[in-house]
Amino acid sequence: MHADRNHLVADLSFQRDAFYDGVRTLFPLSIPGIPFGFVIGVLIADEELLPSLTSWSASFLIFAGSSQLAALTLLADSASAFIVISTVFLINSRHLMYSAAIRDRYGHYSKPTRWLLAYLLVDQQFAVVETDPALDSPTDRYRLWHFLGGGSWLWVMWQATTGLGVLLGGVIKEEWGLSFAVPLLFIGLLILSVKNRPGILAAAVGGTVAVATRNFPQGSGLLLAITLGVAAGGIADTRAEVRT
Amino acid sequence: MRLWLIILASGAVTFLTRASFTVFGGDVAVPAVVERSLRYVAPAAFAAISVPLLLGGDGFADFGSDIPRIIAGATAAAIVVWKKNVPAMLVVGMGIFWLLR
Repeated sequence: MHADRNHLVADLSFQRDAFYDGVRTLFPLSIPGIPFGFVIGVLIADEELLPSLTSWSASFLIFAGSSQLAALTLLADSASAFIVISTVFLINSRHLMYSAAIRDRYGHYSKPTRWLLAYLLVDQQFAVVETDPALDSPTDRYRLWHFLGGGSWLWVMWQATTGLGVLLGGVIKEEWGLSFAVPLLFIGLLILSVKNRPGILAAAVGGTVAVATRNFPQGSGLLLAITLGVAAGGIADTRAEVRT
Repeated sequence: MRLWLIILASGAVTFLTRASFTVFGGDVAVPAVVERSLRYVAPAAFAAISVPLLLGGDGFADFGSDIPRIIAGATAAAIVVWKKNVPAMLVVGMGIFWLLR
């Protein structure tokens, strides 16, 4: 297997069944993204201070929903460029962990291929790569096209649902209060992300500090809240480990 | 123009996190303390974003105008805990919010 990987003429040409298996596997995981993308699109259309097409372009330039939503909220609140970019980086720093985790299986493809795989490495894709037993012992070719199939599906869905939200946003009136979907979505993501006690602490610190620093200039309170929350979780995790 | 640059830079830093180890990492190991801390980015970030939004503009519950938000938010939260289903949570949460306000 390993010798095979370093072989220069390894066949990685398009494999239809792998591609469609990827689409099929990622399909159910893409469903929760539909209302999420749509709400982001509507909010983009609603935000009069920001040009819609530019805001929507984040769907393919950033391609990470929760950070797009956070950036949008901050930009509408006239946060500084530094704060927006740092917050996006912080929220997306979880991908560092994903990237490290998949390195053994996906780190040996050609450089352009790895760039493409990295671009498509979103939460749902990582969940499948980590847990799908079908990916334990296939060929490099199958694994590559499975990833690209699922990734393409998620990408198309994301561009389409956020785009549809932008297009229909003009029809949906602000008085309907659809913007309340934003805290709801984040609460949903929050609950799904808390998996242990340090996670509860990280959330409690992050939430409390964010409320306490809500009047800090240009969204700097959010950045501080996330940083302190992560630190609290990391310290609690290390202590729990030491005790056991 | 400014907005473009901010989004472009945000996209670049996001790509760097995703490409970090597969494209640029080589054989660099992830320090244990970093790996531990990264597990808590999601709960810290999502709480920091959602709690102030849920409590409305000023960050404190204002009895009267914020009650629908809080009831809808709490019910929605219960649904996620119970069913792990975000779309269902969104439908029920928004439904309650619309009924109460």
